[in-house]
Amino acid sequence: MFSRITCFKKYLPLSFLIILLLTTWLLSPAEARTDVKNSDTGSALLAIVNVRIVPVVGQDIPSGTILVENGKIRALGANLEIPAGARIIEARGLTAYPGMIDGYSSLGLVEISGVSATVDNRETGRINPQVKAIEALKYDSMHIPIARSNGIVAAVVAPSGGLIAGQSTLVKLDGWTNREMVIKESLALVVELPGIRGGRRGFMGMGTQQAAVSTDRALAELKELFHRARMYEIRREQAAKNLLLPRPDFDETSHCLLPVVKGELPVIFSVQADKDILQTIRFVQEEKIKAIFYGVHQGYKVAGEIKKAGIPCLIGSLYDQPPVWEDGYDSLFMNPVLLNQAGVKIAFSSSSSSAAKDLPYHAAKAAAFGLDRLEALKAVTIYPAEIFGVDKLMGSLEAGKLANIVLADGDLLELGTRIEKVFIEGREVDLSNRYTELLEKFRKREREK
Amino acid sequence: MKNLTRLPVFILLLVIMLAGSANWLLAAGSLLIKNATILPVTGPPITGGDVLVIDGIIKQIGRNLTAPPGIRIIEAHGKYLIPGIIDTHTHLALSGTNEGTEAITPEVNMADVINPDDPAIFTALSGGVTMVHTMHGSANVIGGVNVVLKMKWGQPSEKLVVREAYPTLKFALGENVKQSNRTLLPGRPQRYPATRMGANAIIRRELLRARDYMAEWDRYEKLKNSKNPPANLLPPKKDLRLETLADLLRGKLYARCHAYVATEMVEFLNLAREFGFKVAALEHAWEAYKITDELLAAGVGISVFIDSWAYKMEAAEGIAYNASYCTQRGVLVSINSDSSERVRRLFNEAGKAVKYGLTPDEALKMITINAARQLGVDRLVGSIEVGKQADLALFNEHPMSAYTRCDLTIIEGEVYFDRQQVIKEREEAARKGGN
Amino acid sequence: MKQEPRKPHLPCRKKKWLPFLILLMLAIVLALTVPEAAAEVKPVYALVNCRLVPVASPSIEKGTIIVRDGLIEALGPADKVTVPADAEVIEAGGLTVYPGLISAHTNLFLETKEQEQPQTAEDFLGAYTQAATPQEFPELQVFKEIKPKKQTVEAWHRAGVTTVVVAPNRGLFQGQSVVLNLNGDQPNTMVLKQPWALHVNFTTERGGVYPSSLMGTVAFIRQKFYDASHYALHQKKYQSSPRFLKRPEYDPFLEALVPFVVDKKPIVFQCNNQEDIKRALRLIEEFKLNAVLTGCNEAWRTAEHLKKARVPLLVALDFRPPNASIYNQQGEAARKKAEAEIYPANAATLLKENISFALTSLGLSESSFARNLQAAIKAGLEPQAALRALTVEPARVLGLDRQLGTLEPGKIANLILTRGDLFGEKTRVVRVLVDGILFNYEEKGQ
Repeated sequence: MFSRITCFKKYLPLSFLIILLLTTWLLSPAEARTDVKNSDTGSALLAIVNVRIVPVVGQDIPSGTILVENGKIRALGANLEIPAGARIIEARGLTAYPGMIDGYSSLGLVEISGVSATVDNRETGRINPQVKAIEALKYDSMHIPIARSNGIVAAVVAPSGGLIAGQSTLVKLDGWTNREMVIKESLALVVELPGIRGGRRGFMGMGTQQAAVSTDRALAELKELFHRARMYEIRREQAAKNLLLPRPDFDETSHCLLPVVKGELPVIFSVQADKDILQTIRFVQEEKIKAIFYGVHQGYKVAGEIKKAGIPCLIGSLYDQPPVWEDGYDSLFMNPVLLNQAGVKIAFSSSSSSAAKDLPYHAAKAAAFGLDRLEALKAVTIYPAEIFGVDKLMGSLEAGKLANIVLADGDLLELGTRIEKVFIEGREVDLSNRYTELLEKFRKREREK
Repeated sequence: MKNLTRLPVFILLLVIMLAGSANWLLAAGSLLIKNATILPVTGPPITGGDVLVIDGIIKQIGRNLTAPPGIRIIEAHGKYLIPGIIDTHTHLALSGTNEGTEAITPEVNMADVINPDDPAIFTALSGGVTMVHTMHGSANVIGGVNVVLKMKWGQPSEKLVVREAYPTLKFALGENVKQSNRTLLPGRPQRYPATRMGANAIIRRELLRARDYMAEWDRYEKLKNSKNPPANLLPPKKDLRLETLADLLRGKLYARCHAYVATEMVEFLNLAREFGFKVAALEHAWEAYKITDELLAAGVGISVFIDSWAYKMEAAEGIAYNASYCTQRGVLVSINSDSSERVRRLFNEAGKAVKYGLTPDEALKMITINAARQLGVDRLVGSIEVGKQADLALFNEHPMSAYTRCDLTIIEGEVYFDRQQVIKEREEAARKGGN
Repeated sequence: MKQEPRKPHLPCRKKKWLPFLILLMLAIVLALTVPEAAAEVKPVYALVNCRLVPVASPSIEKGTIIVRDGLIEALGPADKVTVPADAEVIEAGGLTVYPGLISAHTNLFLETKEQEQPQTAEDFLGAYTQAATPQEFPELQVFKEIKPKKQTVEAWHRAGVTTVVVAPNRGLFQGQSVVLNLNGDQPNTMVLKQPWALHVNFTTERGGVYPSSLMGTVAFIRQKFYDASHYALHQKKYQSSPRFLKRPEYDPFLEALVPFVVDKKPIVFQCNNQEDIKRALRLIEEFKLNAVLTGCNEAWRTAEHLKKARVPLLVALDFRPPNASIYNQQGEAARKKAEAEIYPANAATLLKENISFALTSLGLSESSFARNLQAAIKAGLEPQAALRALTVEPARVLGLDRQLGTLEPGKIANLILTRGDLFGEKTRVVRVLVDGILFNYEEKGQ
């Protein structure tokens, strides 16, 4: 232990140097604040005209107009009259989609995954209900404008690690501070149950049976924690009523779990194996908590039970191997297809920060394996909005909803599609990003000749 | 067997079963694919096209071809036929990735540790990949000799090796060899090199040493062939490490160098010039867009990710335009997976380049003919042309679309992956399981 | 000659001295009061009325076999063999006599230091920070390490095994093995051949020290083989004339390799999967080695190569699919199925392919050895071939075919007496003779 401390001390100057370098780099004037730029206030009246409209709910409009006022969609349709004074955006050849919502990401928490000074998503220890993603969110992350330029306007940002990883947040991908980005400050508590595989060893990993044993233990531990929180609450209440009763000491974990056990704050359970999913359904029902599943690699095997329990599923990244060989090479791709067919509400997720921009491609991948294309689109727009309880505000192009609009030169989920404009709450956001800036910078060399 | 677990055995036996059927034996490596949209890569697309394969070689491309009797016909109406995808940088089908103990290990050879049982071979096939360059890792400055394999799942290791490919030697620079992302452990000194300076110095030292070694053998040969060689003339000690480096200096081996930042790439190209060795490609090359002039001058291509970036400091300026921009500037670019998972969606990775400025044709080239050129096998594979080996993949949509899926993978005229067959066997197993 | 008990090392022409010598010896024996020495004069046994399976010749339904001085003196049908006057007659009606089985690769009698696997993060840290030391011992004589135990010997007797190779099992160049007769627990009296072979393994257990990977191992082994040749050549040249030459530095590692690499004494390669077999064959080809392959439970997958190479094979009756194998990577059900159905057919397939092999108990307990032997037979291995693969075949591989492997006069009296056919499920080994020493395993009530 001693030697480790001295070692740390020895390298302290180096760490400082790294942090210093990083800070200078991240704050270098060439790029300052271009990451988050509001080009207009969003209050003026805006008319997007001659645009193909895919509202996601309701019929597509081959060519129409979207009126935006005070950050909201005032109206949309084929034959709308354009009010005088409206700023007109000609969008012939483009398609308007609702902006996408990433069901699970680490945007703003992980900048360069290999450089720990830039990683803020994993607190030490196993039980961390007290940590909140929003409080560490780097609003000027270089990954946010890149995600935005792929048509993503909002994201769940989740902490990870341990059994209780912390509180996730739902943010829009625009704002001058982290607080300005908030849609739901605390969206859900994140609980990570053991996965199917041990370590990184592809098909050779642990069987589901082994995983089930440790999930057993994990759920038992949670049950104990939830019980402790309930008893803590009761005893504190009793002590408040009867001043003679001894009052339990402040207990941070119990304190932070109270909204969960009261059913106010949902829990996102990261759970993969079919048996584990079944156990977790039982747990959720016994504990009477609100739950969302995340990952659900083997969800298709128990799709009926998930549907019956009414628990929505955030599909983990499809950039993964099937958890066990027996599931078949395409099990991860078929999983959302089969869950959707069984009537389970699904939303896709990037599970990433540097690859958050790939959210639409996960949806398209499932479509390649049989998911209806409109359902795929819904699973990155209206379904996540419904799952997170913000469908009154976003997730589709409808009058009265926030004007989160993406103008694309093709199919929103297609690889080659370019996003021409993005509006978040009616404001057109800057689509330049680290990619475009560095390209421009080094293109100068070519032009100098 | 009352459950689905029997499935893998079926999948494994697929090839064997097919090979066992009389029809198949009659025409091993021969088939006719009909009515496909053919994307030959080196020529314009052919709609409603047929490809006739005899004994593993593409014999005819055209419309309304007829099959000789006994040949399997694959109806591919509405589907896209492309050359088998080639992955220029993976570590699959190997027992081990690194001999990472020492800074220099050119004596190790990936051909010694091929594992034909690695399920990643099947994973690759399921993504239309028919050939991979499987490499030593990047733990040390000079790794080992790499090997090119065809993904002939179920075949013995020796049948996988593509002997016509360039023999290549792995080099690595930057953070991995500096071990800068490793936690420094108490009591363990940091390995040399800890800087990019050190990495280059090591390469130079070893190449100078190899030159000495060659000179030593020359001296011996001269003495041996002289008029009166001494009776006790002793040959120099054979050193496998220096033998490999000598082969590099003799031009028998090509370097492939893992490098990220512009400076280390420029310096590696300088080393190549200084010692006169050939460079087949730079791996990862995240900052290649900054030095396209130097790459063009050296005639060296790059093997890169499309957008997997920001996982370490040296990848923080890895922009998704890299592959597209370098291609537009004339650099030979291939997209690699470097992963037993990404390998099965390499076509998606290439497809992303369309967003960043390439045409779908150009994007497709990065995982077919460009890759073949970088591996020195473009005369054999990498495009659909008469006379080339019939390594093919059939997709249900344009392979550069996000909605596409690989349905069939063929190597030398033999079907190694057939999605319909997989589904059929799965249903069969499920039916049996249900009984 | 036949009638007289004699010490085998005494030349016949000194027969006159014999009584004197015996007296002298007895005197010494009495003086030292070492009771074991009394066994030096081994009894003469006549096993009568038994079925004889000599392996080298047809079975004899009712026969007699005479054992004298640790050797088989005579055998044949009951009416053709006279029981000597000095023989202890052992009634063996209902029993079958086979040559003792030979397991040509075991790790018996080795003190196994259970290598502690790191469990926690701290362990891993510890394992990583420990200064790693190379663990190569080509010069190691396993004979010096063994501690035979009576219990173990008897357990293997019950499985029919009377001769074993004990090989070292750590590192890459593991050291040199010994051939032992399971005649007791005194190493010196057990030795049949010391050393037999150098054992080389491809699997490295070490982290942090070169070579730490399979690819490094192959390169390391090749380099050492080249070094050994060069070392020998250097010494030879230096002896002829040191002019212009540096004096070769003494290297115990290479010194130990020279007899095997240059003088072609046997090298045994441990082949844990099909690719190991190919790796070994490439090395054998490159260095023209006199080699034996052991392990080889995936030998059937490389039948084509083995047919061409004609290298002696020691096939372990271990049916667990190796880690690298496809049968171990498609889930638990597939693995179990392979262990039960595919791997037991290894020997049968080799037989069909006309590849000769010896079977061994490497990695197995005596009970799983017996069980797996039956499974291999059930999977198509003819019992006759199984018997040969445990007797004449290993004897030949070990270069002991004049001493062991069959029931023939003049061979070492390693016999097993069974009730029932050797490979029958209910068969019991009831008596064992090793070097003519009788061990009785008849259970009470039988």
